[in-house]
Amino acid sequence: MVVTFVRLKLRILANGLRGRASRVALFVLAAFTGAGLAVGGWLIFALPGLLDEGRTAGMLLSLGGGALVLGWLFLPLLFFGVDESLDPARFALLPLRRHTLIGGLFVASLAGVPAVATLIATLGMVDTAHRLGGFGAGTVELFGVVLGLLLCAAVSRSVTSAFATALRSRRARDLGTVLLAVVAALLGPLQIAALAGAERADWDQVADVATVVAWTPFGAAYTVGLDVAEGRAWAVPIKLVIVVAAIGGLLWWWSSTLERAMVGAVASSGPSSTVAGLPVSRLLFRWLPRNRFGALVAREVRYWWRGTRRRAILITFGVIGIFLPVMLAISGAGAGPMLLFVGALAAVNLANQFGFDGSAYAANVAAGVPGRVEVRSRVAGYSVYVLPLLFVTAVVVGIVSGSPASIASALGELTATYGVGLGVILPISVRAAYALPETTNPFAMSSGGSLAKGLLTFVALFGAIILTIPLELAAYVLGDVWLWIGLPVGAGYGAAACLLGSRIAGDMLDARMSEVLAAVSPHR
Amino acid sequence: MTIPVQRTPGDGPAMSLRGLVKRFDTKLAVAGLDLDVPAGSFYGLLGPNGAGKTTTLSMAVGLLRPDAGLAFLLGYDVWADPAAAKRLIGVLPDGVRLFDRLSGAELLAYHGLLRGMDAAVVDQRAQELLDVLELGAGNRTLIVDYSAGMKKKIGLACALLHGPRLLVLDEPFEGVDPVSAALIRDILQRYVAGGGTVVFSSHVMEVVERLCSHVAILAAGAIRVQGAISAVRGKRSLEDVFVEVVGGRISTGSELAWL
Repeated sequence: MVVTFVRLKLRILANGLRGRASRVALFVLAAFTGAGLAVGGWLIFALPGLLDEGRTAGMLLSLGGGALVLGWLFLPLLFFGVDESLDPARFALLPLRRHTLIGGLFVASLAGVPAVATLIATLGMVDTAHRLGGFGAGTVELFGVVLGLLLCAAVSRSVTSAFATALRSRRARDLGTVLLAVVAALLGPLQIAALAGAERADWDQVADVATVVAWTPFGAAYTVGLDVAEGRAWAVPIKLVIVVAAIGGLLWWWSSTLERAMVGAVASSGPSSTVAGLPVSRLLFRWLPRNRFGALVAREVRYWWRGTRRRAILITFGVIGIFLPVMLAISGAGAGPMLLFVGALAAVNLANQFGFDGSAYAANVAAGVPGRVEVRSRVAGYSVYVLPLLFVTAVVVGIVSGSPASIASALGELTATYGVGLGVILPISVRAAYALPETTNPFAMSSGGSLAKGLLTFVALFGAIILTIPLELAAYVLGDVWLWIGLPVGAGYGAAACLLGSRIAGDMLDARMSEVLAAVSPHR
Repeated sequence: MTIPVQRTPGDGPAMSLRGLVKRFDTKLAVAGLDLDVPAGSFYGLLGPNGAGKTTTLSMAVGLLRPDAGLAFLLGYDVWADPAAAKRLIGVLPDGVRLFDRLSGAELLAYHGLLRGMDAAVVDQRAQELLDVLELGAGNRTLIVDYSAGMKKKIGLACALLHGPRLLVLDEPFEGVDPVSAALIRDILQRYVAGGGTVVFSSHVMEVVERLCSHVAILAAGAIRVQGAISAVRGKRSLEDVFVEVVGGRISTGSELAWL
């Protein structure tokens, strides 16, 4: 039965590639990137064994394994999404037992580049255990590494699914959603803060942390081989129980959220509720002009909150954008570079702005909305949420790092990277729009889409950061003067870049409106 | 609803397609299609599933770029002068999502302002449309929670809102209950009587036979027959003509003995 699911997934993958040169190219690129990362990871994890460093092995396998699990938790939420070419909802009508369905979907989710790459990378740990502890240790580690892979996949599936379920409720006051988002997104910054702390700590402290992590589900699976090598064979069964229990718990969580997704338990707002007011004033906000631009902005603003996919992005960004720099400021590493990252990350969320609409974009094409109006209204609608967030980030970072005087220049830096990021990302969003699958999971991506999304994101991130280097230099050279002129200069620089980008993107859109529509419509 | 303003049909055809070709991957969806829709006509585009009706209409209204050929709406070249051509037409696409996270009233306001209409006019017409189509002017249900028939009706309302001279409707009666279908028929007939032109696709003979002044039968990406309905039909029923033109059935259903 499980084999059927895996074959179905591979068949869908192959059919998706058939006759589409660009997708084949993307897939090959993904495979090569995965292979490169896998070999690199393998070397890193095998190094302690080659050097015969038992102590380093203990730290690296425990912390490295934990980082892998965390990566599987966050990268899908932040950058890549999950490959949901097997949409669970499609199996709702088939007479399948729940554990058959979950088992099949779970194993099928392992048939992909990320899982294979992770497995190859962690095989380096097997090599290390083998060199340090002989054949027995290597065998036990192999078992642990496979369990670790299962844990990674279970983590990413269950968390994205639970997040999706929470986000599907369309009521704005759904506190649970926001709380879950905060907790989930907080773990990432905490990890970075821990790493930043590790830089300053001595190795004994790191070793202590590693020992603790090795007893949590994060590191347990990856350290069993070393336990054998160091004569602690009694620890192996306990750790295996920890990991298996974690996998079981996650799968149970996943299946319960899936079940809710499949029956579509959506609390609708109720058919009888009515509201007074004329149609135009119900669409528009009071501060918007009552014309085409106003209508476009109003719809964008409503969609950023009402669409589950967009809301997920917004919430994740909000939490990351504020906590990442704050954590760094607290840990004393300085929030400066992180501000650049946050500003660019804000812009990157628009990389597939037409993909969010899907075929609904046909309405704008049929009405013949001019490209520049279209692009600028989208930027304006998104900025309604982002600019206040950037403001809050600047203020909080300024207070936490104990230099309130730098708030204005920090805000200038943020708006500059945001604007430059938009300048880079807007033409990309017209040129490289792609369809998102119409599933209930806001993190779902079609096969190959994950890599496209990831690649575009990184291109735009680096582009934005490179283009803001002149400002960074100015800030460095000018010193205190920058505290005064940072905000107007930064905001002006960003606004100019954004205007230029929206001009280019708008003109491109005028020429290829129907191509964009075709690109973002699913099933084509 | 106010009585539509009397429109004078222009000189040329309302819609004119010349040699349209569209190829998807390896499949030729539309193969050199010519079609003339006279102004003031009620034009039915008939065809079996997969004949290329949606592809043809999408190319005609500027949603899908043809590989070859020209499309004129009310004399304007859709692909050379899209702004002028799109201004005068109303479109109800099929298989396309609406902006369904808006309520019905919000969507109508959106479409009206997008078409450059005055806000006061949008308010007045949107409320009338919501009332006439029984969608409820004060209803705040999001369109994503509408039934299939309600979605068709709000889509139609969006297409009508700016008082276009040409309506292009893809499967407007699909999934609509008989009462709403009768209402939509009445609205469209009044619209044509007022000088407007309607082009719609369907595979329901009965609806086409009752409404249309002209029909075209499309099969395998090309027009097989077109003209005034009386000329196309002759003395037979439209269904007989359709089955003959498209190609008769080969299997009879008796093969499925186990059923």
